[in-house]
Amino acid sequence: MVLDMHASASTGENKEYKKVYCEHHTECLKKIQAVLDGEASEAEKEHFRENMDDCLHCIKMYHLEKCVKEALQAKVDKRLCPDNLIATIKSKLNIIS
Amino acid sequence: MSVIMSEEIEEIPLASSETSYNDAEKNDIFNREFMPHINSMYNFAFRLTMDEDDANDLVQDTYLKAFRFISSFERGTNAKAWLFRILKNSFINDYRKRSKEPSKVDYQEVETTYNSEEAAEVDHTTDLRVETVQDMIGDEVATALNSLPVDFRTVIILCDIEGFTYEEMAKILDIPIGTVRSRLHRARNLLKDKLKVYASSMGYNTDEY
Repeated sequence: MVLDMHASASTGENKEYKKVYCEHHTECLKKIQAVLDGEASEAEKEHFRENMDDCLHCIKMYHLEKCVKEALQAKVDKRLCPDNLIATIKSKLNIIS
Repeated sequence: MSVIMSEEIEEIPLASSETSYNDAEKNDIFNREFMPHINSMYNFAFRLTMDEDDANDLVQDTYLKAFRFISSFERGTNAKAWLFRILKNSFINDYRKRSKEPSKVDYQEVETTYNSEEAAEVDHTTDLRVETVQDMIGDEVATALNSLPVDFRTVIILCDIEGFTYEEMAKILDIPIGTVRSRLHRARNLLKDKLKVYASSMGYNTDEY
């Protein structure tokens, strides 16, 4: 699920943010993770949009979470099932391809 | 019934009704609905067991069980989640007991610890840089992932590597969606801790940016 709100989560150097530190960072982080997982409720998405405009701390958390998630998806080696294991399973079950 | 047997998890998901398939239909379901997931299943098995031989045995056992209980599978439904649940339960029942994993920790104990520490949760934005994670190679990220207790490793694999929804994860793991969310949150914090420690040990700059 691609959210257009991602585009607003930038860290423009010249922008002044209302908040630099977020005292609710634990709860905000849970909402950020739900957004990145494509599982956020409408209320969580709304909260996310507001914070991405105002809170530098939440923006930094968003970028770090997104980066770690992308590293897991793209960098961790995906092991392929050996051909001989597939052949063994099919043979044991008399499966015809 | 022995104590061990009574602790075992029901491996095959309960179906609302069973379907009687003929041999040709079983063959077709196996090839069209089960086999397309075998690479994901093998990768999941390897990430759980962290051993190629154990992963081979686990995948083979899972596919043999899936075929034996194919009448419990409703054609056209979510075969991947159904197979992953069987594999996860087989792992718990057959492999985890004899796992040599050094970081094997009772899940309840871990969850209790993290619950109690949640009030003073670490803010990772101050000690792990985006650029540091981007500079890491796959083996470094995998090492951090592998060092997590298996229950935390599992939710990250299912969500971030396999792309399951929270609802699918809840069914695979037999836990409520709220628990999926909280376990994922704790797993990711633990992973960031591991990445931070690893980055520091490798000389990456982990100062606040």
